[in-house]
Amino acid sequence: MTVSTTALTLIVVAATLMATLTPILLLALFIRDWKKGCLW
Amino acid sequence: MNGLDAPILPSSIAWGLLIAFSILWVALGWWLGRHNKTAEDHMLAGRNVGMALATATAMATWVTANTTMTAPQLALQLGVWGMLGYSLGALGLILFAPLARRIRELMPRGFTSGDFIRLRFGTFTWRVFLVVSLIYAFGWLVSMAMAGGVLINALAGIDYRVGMTVILTVCVIYTLLGGLRAVIGTDFIQTIIIIAGAAFIAWLTIDKVGFEAIHFNLMEERPELLSLLFPAAIMFLFNNLLFGVGEIFHSNVWWSRAFAFGRNVGFRAYLLGGLLWLPIPIVAGFIALATPALGINVPAADMVGPLVAAEVLGLTGAIVVFIVVFAALASSLDSLLAATSDLVTRDIYRGHIRPQASEQSQFRATKVIVVLLGLLTWLAASYRGSLPIIGSLAELLYFTGAFVASAIWPIVAGLYWQRANPQGAAWSMILGSGVGLASYFLIGFYVAALVGAAVSLAVMVLSTWLAPRPFDWDRLARDDVQPKGSPA
Repeated sequence: MTVSTTALTLIVVAATLMATLTPILLLALFIRDWKKGCLW
Repeated sequence: MNGLDAPILPSSIAWGLLIAFSILWVALGWWLGRHNKTAEDHMLAGRNVGMALATATAMATWVTANTTMTAPQLALQLGVWGMLGYSLGALGLILFAPLARRIRELMPRGFTSGDFIRLRFGTFTWRVFLVVSLIYAFGWLVSMAMAGGVLINALAGIDYRVGMTVILTVCVIYTLLGGLRAVIGTDFIQTIIIIAGAAFIAWLTIDKVGFEAIHFNLMEERPELLSLLFPAAIMFLFNNLLFGVGEIFHSNVWWSRAFAFGRNVGFRAYLLGGLLWLPIPIVAGFIALATPALGINVPAADMVGPLVAAEVLGLTGAIVVFIVVFAALASSLDSLLAATSDLVTRDIYRGHIRPQASEQSQFRATKVIVVLLGLLTWLAASYRGSLPIIGSLAELLYFTGAFVASAIWPIVAGLYWQRANPQGAAWSMILGSGVGLASYFLIGFYVAALVGAAVSLAVMVLSTWLAPRPFDWDRLARDDVQPKGSPA
């Protein structure tokens, strides 16, 4: 029982997409916290 | 040392990157910590860390050199299950989310995990916990320093001891200057560098090689890596899961953050941090599956990540890997230095040597202890291979597995089980560690954590069932955990 090309593609693309969006999400959170004055 | 014929990055470029990032981290550490006036500022960054910085520091600390270098190695050795199994390390962060909320609620003025164990279970259990916790913390510190030296040597050919000394010195300096505020601030930038770098390499590998070619070549040359019924990989998955949970539940690295995060931030930050951490080992690990398609001969499994990056991207890939590895090492080393120095300051210096120590003397002591910890770590990492235990990174980490896993149940019972027996908590750690270590030497490294956790659970449950000891939760908030001698 092996992983198909489609399954491998789905797993890796989903993970890479999520990792690509993570820095953007963190920066958005940072800006939100900064504007609200609650970074620290 | 790594089995490679030549480093993938010219040492002149590596030195330039080392110097540039060292200056950046130290300058940031000084700038972020310039307003620290008390031990509480230095150790807990003002106790009001917001969601963005809290999430990033949870992620950065859990992304170690192991994540960036070992994930590709595991994908190469254990296939799809290897990278998926490693990503389950995220469960440690996710499961700690409710514990972080509980810790903040029960002890709004707490400082360390030791504070909790002392108040919850008494002096004897506290001392046992300190031994377990400090052995683990020191083991992790030394393994990270060793990883720094090994990786810098492998990537750029810089002498092991020189590379290890540089990275350790930089982390000691900025932790010393800025305390937890510097650690968390630099962690934010390091998280972005690590994740963006890993995603960049993954996208380019996908673009250059493609899934069809990767899958076809794997089926031809290494079909077992695509198998869903790979027994060794499935065993690894459970072992890794348990080890990760044990590491996070007991370590002051995670407790100090639970105390430092603002009200209602801890639960959400650990949960989001865990969810965002989940794909990182897959992203970092997947590129190893491209080696058959790229026709790369891998002389040392733990160097597969840099090799693929250099093959796909050339010099740019080598530079990206070097920066990512440096950021991953620094983000874990600084956290460990800060959290371990807090534990030693609060629980050894104030708890055992100078109970009347003022806030200011604790502030000074924390700084001295960071330097001493750095020196001790340097000494141990300098003589790797010469000491009986400190042989390799893996040996060292697995050795601490028994200690780590034996602390899971005393922590969980202490936080949630009102009748948990304090003596039982101590003996569950002693017997769990002892039997776990015996199994490490008698059976194999892969069972130490499992046996340690099983014995610890049995002792904790049995002792509480035979002799329950009711506890008043309010005691944790009521009892004075502020440094003695400081204003009320």
